[in-house]
Amino acid sequence: MGATDFIGAREDPSAPDVAALIPMVRRVIGARVADPTTAEDLVQETLVRVLTAAPRVEPGMLEPYAIVTARNVVTSLWRQQDRDRRNQHRVVDLSPPDAPDDDMLAREEQEAVAAALARLTDRERDTLVAHEVSGQDTRSLAEELGSTAGAVAAQLNRTRARLRVEYLLVRENVEPPTDRCRPVLLALSGGDRRRQREVDAGRHLLECEVCARLSPPLMERTQSRDDELRIPIAVDADVVAARQAARELASRLGFARTELTLIATAVSEVTRNIVRFAGAGEVVVELLDQPRAGVRITARDTGPGIPDVQAALADGYSTYNGLGLGLPGARRLMDEFAVVSESGRGTTVTMTKWCDAR
Amino acid sequence: MTERPDTTPPPPPLPRSPVNEEELLPQLVSHLREHRTKLRQEWAARIQGAGLLHAMTPQEMAAETTSVYDNYVEVLETGSVEALQRYARDLSERIIPRGVETHEVVGIVLLLRDVLARSLFEKYQRDFALLNRVLDAYEPAANRIANTVAVSFVDERERVIRQQQDSIRELSTPVLPVRERLLILPMIGVLDSERARQLTEQLLTGIRTHRAKVVVIDITGVPAVDETVANHLVRTVDASRLMGASVIITGLSPDIAQTLVTIGVDLSKMDTIGDLQGGLEEAERLLGFSVTRGDGTGTM
Amino acid sequence: MTGPKLVSILRQGDWLIASIHTALDDSQMLLFRNDLVEQIGRHRSRGVVIDVAALDVLDSFGANTLRTIAEMARLRGAETVIVGIQPDVAFAMVSLGMDTGDVPTALDLEEGLAYLGRPTGARSRGRRDAAG
Ligand SMILES: [Zn+2]
Repeated sequence: MGATDFIGAREDPSAPDVAALIPMVRRVIGARVADPTTAEDLVQETLVRVLTAAPRVEPGMLEPYAIVTARNVVTSLWRQQDRDRRNQHRVVDLSPPDAPDDDMLAREEQEAVAAALARLTDRERDTLVAHEVSGQDTRSLAEELGSTAGAVAAQLNRTRARLRVEYLLVRENVEPPTDRCRPVLLALSGGDRRRQREVDAGRHLLECEVCARLSPPLMERTQSRDDELRIPIAVDADVVAARQAARELASRLGFARTELTLIATAVSEVTRNIVRFAGAGEVVVELLDQPRAGVRITARDTGPGIPDVQAALADGYSTYNGLGLGLPGARRLMDEFAVVSESGRGTTVTMTKWCDAR
Repeated sequence: MTERPDTTPPPPPLPRSPVNEEELLPQLVSHLREHRTKLRQEWAARIQGAGLLHAMTPQEMAAETTSVYDNYVEVLETGSVEALQRYARDLSERIIPRGVETHEVVGIVLLLRDVLARSLFEKYQRDFALLNRVLDAYEPAANRIANTVAVSFVDERERVIRQQQDSIRELSTPVLPVRERLLILPMIGVLDSERARQLTEQLLTGIRTHRAKVVVIDITGVPAVDETVANHLVRTVDASRLMGASVIITGLSPDIAQTLVTIGVDLSKMDTIGDLQGGLEEAERLLGFSVTRGDGTGTM
Repeated sequence: MTGPKLVSILRQGDWLIASIHTALDDSQMLLFRNDLVEQIGRHRSRGVVIDVAALDVLDSFGANTLRTIAEMARLRGAETVIVGIQPDVAFAMVSLGMDTGDVPTALDLEEGLAYLGRPTGARSRGRRDAAG
């Protein structure tokens, strides 16, 4: 049964008469769902959705829209057991609460979602709703928008990322304290690592309490990467943890044992600097595959910063009772090494070791 | 037309092409066999004209082109890619040591394809419909052959290169336990960073497994090193000392000595002896002592 | 005392044999240093072997601590030898730019004890009469 059976069956599109759609929706659903009670529920659900969308639907397009919606409602029933999985990419669970006690929570949740939706642009919101709620696929959305399915999908991902951020801001009832907050949260929410580097998300999370508090649920979705490790640094024991984590992750690339120890030693040196001079920070270990296999270590802190980086990189510089080999020593162990330090804001050391083909 | 499914109506008979599909290829093959000598020579001339395979002598060229030609026709006949792969591997194994490059192999196979195609064109040019069918049968098979040969060649070439590198690596940094507690490392050839890294791993783990107290590194056979490698060498010597082994360097050329000085190595702190013989005598002397101290070795 | 699992310090006649059993962080390293130096003084030890074979890394702090121990031991009349530095750890140390101080190193415990002037098998306590 195709949608074309019904197109043009009605000639009066100006006043959407949803009731007139009922027989057709019943037929569509009845052909797919045997149990009459379930079928009737789905008919009602379909009509509600059509009714909500009616003002935005092009004149004359209500029937096809209803058919597509009816089919999607049936499909989503079939996928009921997969619902959790389907909802995973949403920050909000849109399914109704199980227990009456949850009603209020659910209502607050819905209000937060509504408020978050209101912060999107019209176009963002319409596309998202058409896709997420009405189940319209990216190809037909692309046709409507005069775009490509790939572009629509990318746009949808960005919109979802924004929705998650706005939802969190509404729910926590906070305004981002700086103008860097939103870009950082968006980059985290989208899971786009290049963008995260561009906005220096790691550093911002160290500096901004609000974003640090908001970010965990955003990161959980992307934290599943297994080629990246993030180790918070505060005490002596973290130095050992960081260098062992770096060694373990890097060992996946086929580094020789000696090189793994060079990496671990370099991590030890730069991490100790965090504990000594800054008190707190983090070490991020990432495996790289571009331009070739390698491991990148980023050690950042929110300490006082290094007044003279050039001097700190020269041999013999030391402000604690050590050998002063920290930064210059670590630099000798790695292939690439960069220090960025700002007085009063902290220091970021980025160092890379490439894994030569072997 | 017996093989065609019933639903397909038989095509109208071609007036001057009485040959059916099954007979096309055998006919083609026997044509190529019949004119083997002429076609092969034409092909060889084209190869020379294109400046390919110049690393080979005329005799080798004649032998290889003949055998490639026969194999080529046989694959056309049987359609068996396995035989071709086997042949291409053998061929690659023979010609890779002669310095034949991938583009040459691909080039000669494509030349053969075109020489044969032209010959087919001449033979069938008066029957255009038949010519089309012949070329339809010939071209996919010919392209498959070219593809298979190229892939086999590249695979084989990579395998040979890997093998050579491995064996060079093993040969180039042997750690020889000459007697109890004494290792000799005779190094020959150009020392790049990869080899320097290998040397470090082998020497340092060698010290541990052989419980070496003295190591003689003979670099008579190393013409020169760049600063990175020199640095690596010095680190390896220092690391050996941290493991309690004394290092004697023999055969240090003026060039390398100069490089070491350039990167700031204090040569007076390195135990350098002119030749290997002298180095071994010094090693014996050191092994006579029960401790490794006094001369700056074995301390941190 | 850092606890028996991280390090052990055994007394053998005039000598102390200190073994580090696992990677130590800086605080643990300092506790080890204090503990060892205290025992050297208490036992009037003449020689100390520190076995670092279990260390995954000897960075600037670790190496510097070992050197401090040797210096404090020397002031108390004891000689120190470091043994068991792993090949990769040794290479990383020199790459880091550790300047070679004057603390002797040896391959392993056996060599370290031999260095201090007594064969491993010897059980007798008493004075150190073999030539150093
Ligand atoms: Zn923020």
